[in-house]
Amino acid sequence: MHHHYPEGTVRALLNTDHVTPATRTTLEARLSLHAPYEPQFFTASEYVLLKAVCDRLIPQTGSDTDYINIARGIDERLTRNESNGWRYDSMPPDQDAYQLGLAGLEATAQSRHQQSFLHLPDAQQDDLLRLIQQAEVEGEPWDRLPAERFFEEILAEAVENYYSHPLAQEAIGYVGMADTPAWQRLGLNTLDDREPRPL
Amino acid sequence: MQHYTTSETVDAVVIGTGAGGAPLLARLAAAGLKVVALEAGKHWTPYDDFPTDERAQSKLFWNDERLSAGEDPLPFGNNNSGTGVGGSTLHYTAYTPRVQPDDLRLRSEFSVGEDWPFGFEEIEPYYDEIEHFLGVSGPANYPWGPVRKRQYPLGPLPINAPGQLMERGCRELGIRTSPAANAALSAPYFQEGVGWRQACTNRGFCQAGCNIGAKASMDVTYIPLAIHHGAEVRPESFVTQLVKDASGKISEVIYIRNGQEERQRCRYVFLCAGTVETPRLLLMNGLANTSGQVGRNVMAHTALQIWGEFDEDIRPYKGIPGALISEDTHRPSDQIAGPVDFAGGYLLQSIGVMPLTYLSQMARARGLWGDALKQAATTYNHVAGINILGDCLPYAHNYLELSDEKDVRGLPKPRIYFSNGENEERMTSHANQVMRSIWEAAGAKNLWAFPRNAHVIGTCRMGNDPDRAVVDAEGRSYDIPNLYISDNSTFPSALSVNPALTIMALSLRTADRFLTRSNRLD
Ligand SMILES: Cc1cc2nc3c(=O)[nH]c(=O)nc-3n(C[C@H](O)[C@H](O)[C@H](O)COP(=O)(O)OP(=O)(O)OC[C@H]3O[C@@H](n4cnc5c(N)ncnc54)[C@H](O)[C@@H]3O)c2cc1C
Ligand code: SF4
Repeated sequence: MHHHYPEGTVRALLNTDHVTPATRTTLEARLSLHAPYEPQFFTASEYVLLKAVCDRLIPQTGSDTDYINIARGIDERLTRNESNGWRYDSMPPDQDAYQLGLAGLEATAQSRHQQSFLHLPDAQQDDLLRLIQQAEVEGEPWDRLPAERFFEEILAEAVENYYSHPLAQEAIGYVGMADTPAWQRLGLNTLDDREPRPL
Repeated sequence: MQHYTTSETVDAVVIGTGAGGAPLLARLAAAGLKVVALEAGKHWTPYDDFPTDERAQSKLFWNDERLSAGEDPLPFGNNNSGTGVGGSTLHYTAYTPRVQPDDLRLRSEFSVGEDWPFGFEEIEPYYDEIEHFLGVSGPANYPWGPVRKRQYPLGPLPINAPGQLMERGCRELGIRTSPAANAALSAPYFQEGVGWRQACTNRGFCQAGCNIGAKASMDVTYIPLAIHHGAEVRPESFVTQLVKDASGKISEVIYIRNGQEERQRCRYVFLCAGTVETPRLLLMNGLANTSGQVGRNVMAHTALQIWGEFDEDIRPYKGIPGALISEDTHRPSDQIAGPVDFAGGYLLQSIGVMPLTYLSQMARARGLWGDALKQAATTYNHVAGINILGDCLPYAHNYLELSDEKDVRGLPKPRIYFSNGENEERMTSHANQVMRSIWEAAGAKNLWAFPRNAHVIGTCRMGNDPDRAVVDAEGRSYDIPNLYISDNSTFPSALSVNPALTIMALSLRTADRFLTRSNRLD
């Protein structure tokens, strides 16, 4: 079952009284994050690699102006050394985990294909990522970084960064931010007027 | 708001303002005591500070890093704990079922787990009082548990689409359901010492904070009541030390505010920092642990979720998330899903969900990524969930310790070991079968399970035996006579219902017991 929704729904609702000022400020700030971004935590080469991984985890097909920069949010969080409140005890601290994991990915690409991950075709990139997801990689750094946990963490963070963006929310037909003054129609197959109909 | 100076000796310091701290704070203040609450988090202004955006609202979670160990590591942060004036009630879903009397006698009934040191009749009057103060919305006739002495003050909230679907599936299978009790207002409500609160607008966002005060988090209920009665609430005050005097009593509490160390002298301390921070503070300070039980007996409700896709349009972001309940599985009969091979039981709850929560769970549990993930995400408007909350036994292998790693404050990070035991595994597999049948009967496709445990419980349990418990049945430390604990850490067993209403009830009970003691120091 696939569902498609019209474009522009969230952006239009942001200009109405259906969102509170606090919600509008937050989402408009996120929408306007287009400018090129210089990583603060990652080195330039780590950052390019991270972006390439994010592009495979959540492929984006839209125009450049609609590109949602997932890696940026990760870099910003690690720069502030912020935590989401917990980590698997089996994992090193987040900053180390990302650096080790990216280095491990690149080393695995080199040893299997004698090429950088960046230069592999999409399908081979995906194969490598799948090996990490299934913990079918060995040696340094995977002996101190459980590969399947690393993959789970980077995937969960990528998903949170991507789907918190209004453009990604439009694509799945989510308009829950337009909650003012109230939702009136809650039952099955009953929509308030401002909720988008699937195409 | 009243202000006390730090040079003054106040009657009581309350550490933490969540479900365990806030009710007691209000009760002590109403009795005329000079009370100061020290709260690590901020005092928010919900309408201005709470956008309808999950990411921005991660500020409500306790985000200092905890280390999750064991076979079934517990996620914290957004899954388990909050901070701010109001504590985790800022982001609880406000599902407020009462415990059933047999939950308090698990050992008597099944020879496993623990009995509580008192019975249902001790808690019931507090349920009545709290439900009326908070404005709990619930059904006129609730099918399970003892007959109520007082009706819920408000009628039930509307049943959203996930609730309708669960009703449909359960009807097919002959499982009874009822609109759930929720501490969110189905109509405007007036509270003494607080004022009018407006009705729920069905925005489905309870887990990321209610911006209109319809949900009964502590910041719009017991905290304003406490302030009305003269309590001082000191936010952004992170307690690090409890200082004992020569007589073995705690004489002052040390905390960090604006980067500075401050001290508050006091006659009594009520430690209400939650299941993780309460034992962490005690262990860091080497206090109240003659029993060796501080940090032990970590429990977490079995909380498997089953998600399904439906042809119908659902929009799971609308309506109170947990609209429907069934307690037919409280002590399930063999008719529901074959012979029952576990102790205790669980409840069933319909669940709506916000998108980030849903999608990140889906990514973790199903491991979907790439185009498969994006396609699955487009079904968001057509998904609904059922969730259980079930008992969990205390085990020696589940405990909290201080690790060698330091957090941003320079304090040792807590490490929490958690592995489900055989009882939890069996209960979960029973529930898995029941929930899948309900969803199939309701017409769901592409079912998937999100394995999880919810609500951290235990670590400073109460009991009648000082060798096996940290606090007595009133919540008072066996070691330190002027130290009380009131939060989810004192539960001797996990119970088969969500904890917040019962935490509040114990909080008022502790306050009342304390106030009627004849030999108090104040
Ligand atoms: C997403 C989610 C949904 C939930 N939904 C429900 C539900 O529907 N129904 C239900 O019954 N329960 C629910 N719960 C659980 C419920 O919120 C908690 O069980 C309850 O709030 C715990 O109360 P407490 O007093 O033990 O701790 P908390 O409410 O967490 O309060 C502890 C307070 O102490 C403060 N603190 C900690 N350490 C310090 C320190 N060193 N110095 C100063 N202050 C400190 C914290 O900042 C916090 O404010 C939910 C929980 C979550 C995470
Ligand atoms: S559903 Fe109701 S109670 Fe929950 S956040 Fe929304 S308005 Fe508040």
